[in-house]
Amino acid sequence: MEASALSVWIVIVGAGAVTFLARASFIVFADPQKFPHAFRVALAFVPASVLAAIVVPGLVMPHGAIDLTAANPRLVAGIAALAVAAKVRNPLPALVAGMVVLWGLQALTG
Amino acid sequence: MLPNARSEFIAGCRDIAPVLVGTIPFGFVAGVAAVGAGMTPLQGIALSFCAFSGIAQLVVAQLFAAQSPVIVTLAAALVVSLRFLMYSAALAPHLAHLPPRWRAPLAYLMTDQGFAMGVQHFGHPGDRRQRHFYLLGLSLTLYTVWQASVIAGALAGAQVPAAWSLDFVVTLTFLVLLVPALRTRADLAAAVVAGAVVLLAAGLPYKLSLVVASLAGIGVGVLVEWRHQR
Repeated sequence: MEASALSVWIVIVGAGAVTFLARASFIVFADPQKFPHAFRVALAFVPASVLAAIVVPGLVMPHGAIDLTAANPRLVAGIAALAVAAKVRNPLPALVAGMVVLWGLQALTG
Repeated sequence: MLPNARSEFIAGCRDIAPVLVGTIPFGFVAGVAAVGAGMTPLQGIALSFCAFSGIAQLVVAQLFAAQSPVIVTLAAALVVSLRFLMYSAALAPHLAHLPPRWRAPLAYLMTDQGFAMGVQHFGHPGDRRQRHFYLLGLSLTLYTVWQASVIAGALAGAQVPAAWSLDFVVTLTFLVLLVPALRTRADLAAAVVAGAVVLLAAGLPYKLSLVVASLAGIGVGVLVEWRHQR
């Protein structure tokens, strides 16, 4: 096996190890109560921070440059999905609303 | 299986159904992305079975395409997986009574959606002894649909028209998860700061913007929480 092919498999297995260790951390290995209070406080802000850091570029930088105008269909579609998600617990309507608005705007602008 | 266990399992399979509409295109996109990044279909599928995490798979594919060093790619995969630490800590008390042969597979199968629905179900009143079958049912359903979608995407490769904008499903999936994660002012501050920093740091190589933004958001969340308590 050549070096680059080997490194692909290292990445694949390594990504598996990293994700499993994060998931199993407290369920399998450690008791969260034994960690300092500050650590648990910080942990509580991980989802909001990481999810926002994933979502915002997808809405605002669809093609690598920041576009905060109404001419950015992904931003408009994201705001529509956000409005629906804030009202309805079921994730489905927000997903559908986002895709329909995006497709509609793309059809309009050609 | 005890009758109660069976009904818990089936309830889990049923309750996850609305989520699957997002899972199928997302998995498809993750399969397409791996092949588009230069992996073989087999490697893309293996990545999915190893990591079973859409965002980790996409980040790995992007960094693989950019020929990033292995250690940088794995560090980025770790950062996007940090939220699993929080989910793991929240689920652990509900699973502590189970032997490791139960806890390890349930950990491997954990997802954002599975966590959200599982933790809600564990909070319901009533008989709690067979609740883990609910988590198993919904997780196995999601897992099966996910892997089938990734395999389809990896085999279809670059044949998907870009005009369908299927990749936007990825953003929407996480947006739908973000909304219920914003319960307090401190959550909101963390998200706003993370969102602003990720844009300001967009020029950094190797997805470092994601790392920097996540840490900034967590830091601000903690600060707001502390100020609020005093």
